[in-house]
Amino acid sequence: MSARAIWKGRLVLGKHEVAVKMYSAVEDQAVHFHLLHEKDLTPVEQRIVRKDNGREVPKEAQRKAMPLDDQRAVILEPDELDRLEPESDRAIHLLRFVPRDALGDQWFDRPYYLGPDDDSDAYFALAEALADKERLGIARWVMRDKRYVGALSAADGYLRMTTLRRADQVVAVPAVRPDKARTPSAAEVKLAEQLVESITGAFEPEQWHNEYRARLHKLIDAKAKGTKLRLVAAKPKEATGDLAGSLRASLAAARGKRVA
Amino acid sequence: MPDDDREPSAAVRPFWSGTITFGLVSIPVDLYAAVTPRRKSMKLVDQEGHPLGRRYWCPKDEKVLDNDELVRGYETESGKMVVVTDEEFESAAPEKSRDIDLKSFVALDEISPFFFERPYFLAPDERAGKAYALLAQTMARSGKAGIGSFVMRGHEYLVAIVSENGMLRAQVLRYADELRTPESIGLPEPAKAPAATVRALAKEIDALAEPALDLAEMADVDAETLHRFAEQKAKSGQGVIAMEELEDEDGEGARSGEVIDLMQVLRESLGASVAAAEKGTKAKGEGARSSAPKRTAAKSSAATPAAKKPAATRTARKKAHARAAT
Repeated sequence: MSARAIWKGRLVLGKHEVAVKMYSAVEDQAVHFHLLHEKDLTPVEQRIVRKDNGREVPKEAQRKAMPLDDQRAVILEPDELDRLEPESDRAIHLLRFVPRDALGDQWFDRPYYLGPDDDSDAYFALAEALADKERLGIARWVMRDKRYVGALSAADGYLRMTTLRRADQVVAVPAVRPDKARTPSAAEVKLAEQLVESITGAFEPEQWHNEYRARLHKLIDAKAKGTKLRLVAAKPKEATGDLAGSLRASLAAARGKRVA
Repeated sequence: MPDDDREPSAAVRPFWSGTITFGLVSIPVDLYAAVTPRRKSMKLVDQEGHPLGRRYWCPKDEKVLDNDELVRGYETESGKMVVVTDEEFESAAPEKSRDIDLKSFVALDEISPFFFERPYFLAPDERAGKAYALLAQTMARSGKAGIGSFVMRGHEYLVAIVSENGMLRAQVLRYADELRTPESIGLPEPAKAPAATVRALAKEIDALAEPALDLAEMADVDAETLHRFAEQKAKSGQGVIAMEELEDEDGEGARSGEVIDLMQVLRESLGASVAAAEKGTKAKGEGARSSAPKRTAAKSSAATPAAKKPAATRTARKKAHARAAT
């Protein structure tokens, strides 16, 4: 099963250009539900209505208003919004290449694969060169009337682009030092480090399955067949009192497991 | 959700409250959004500026429905509609719904950014004691992330718990089956590229190499353009309306409302002394030896005062509740 490209563009770095096709790297696996009227299970529709009188407002009479402050907003007409849309020339401009750790996890938004378009030599050459440098390329482009910022990377011989959040979306992490009562002792830190060490392994994403999704499917199947279901409610956990004691017991359990 | 009695920041509400477990150690935590919505979101009005809203409409009865008149149904392949109740949704995840059990730790740089979906801050509940600081310190020192999963609002989330500057963050990860591969997309096999082309492109990369980000390059130009135009138009007096009761056009209100005043959350939950973290100042990483200083600087200057949207938030949240568990 192959996927269709969502867009075509060209990476522009200095004097060089590399033509690429863009493919979403995400496959939707969510379980989708319809909203129904409880009374007779009629699927409901969404309507846009005036809040004061509940009357439906057709698409052509709807407008968007940009908030100026807490009190005021300005209505922007469709032709005004059209004029503000950026022009696309299909160029993906590479602005700089930064070390991989220059971008923390909060920046990354949606992942895409890039594939070669026409000249696969240039495509695979860039993938090779970028992999060697161990850097991320910061890129800007216009796609379907919107501006994007992304990080270009290379893995397994292919180029990838992950769109990035904008600077004002990423909340800074201030340095935090807990007060005395909440500062762990050296002994506790040492135990915790040993515990972390004892359950450290490789990241194996394929080992993790969305069990909830699977159970939801099972539940739906059972219900569709008319099977009666037994419901279980969740119980909250207690906080840990004796920290060092819990750590020691956990460590013993983790070690025991490894020996066995 | 109970109302927040800390009056200065009504927008600060946890998304979820639960427990991180790590061996036999339990740490009660609250979850907050770690990224704010984009500033380009607009409000829905009619031509005269009357506030508009989304309502659920029953085409058979030809009337607007309240949220408590709605149920969620799944359409099976045979076309049968199966109703799933809230209790049944919860029942699909009995033990897990309140726990993030850290089953393993991995080197943080081993996780490809392709997996990163959405970050949340984890703030310790007052019962967390020193276990929170202990986990944060331990992970920062070792450069590790803890992996676990939990259930929130009808979804199971795989998360990497990341420590930075004494603060824990839950980065939601995509499951492996949610990511395509070059093979599943049908990309051609990698071919050996001509060495001269590789060299030429490597040179271009070198020419553009920089040690850090330039936040100006990461700016939201679409939002800035819209705001500039709106300000300009407002000066002419045209199209200016009152903000009262307006709803977000993109229906993303639930997220927009959860903008947090992080400093406030930290002060109250961690009992923390917070080092200089005002806009543009470089935060010093206490007990976070391994975190890259460049990164800290970049993020600190990316701080923005959180915009509050109190009026639109409540209705939007109600709406999101009805939509939950899709």
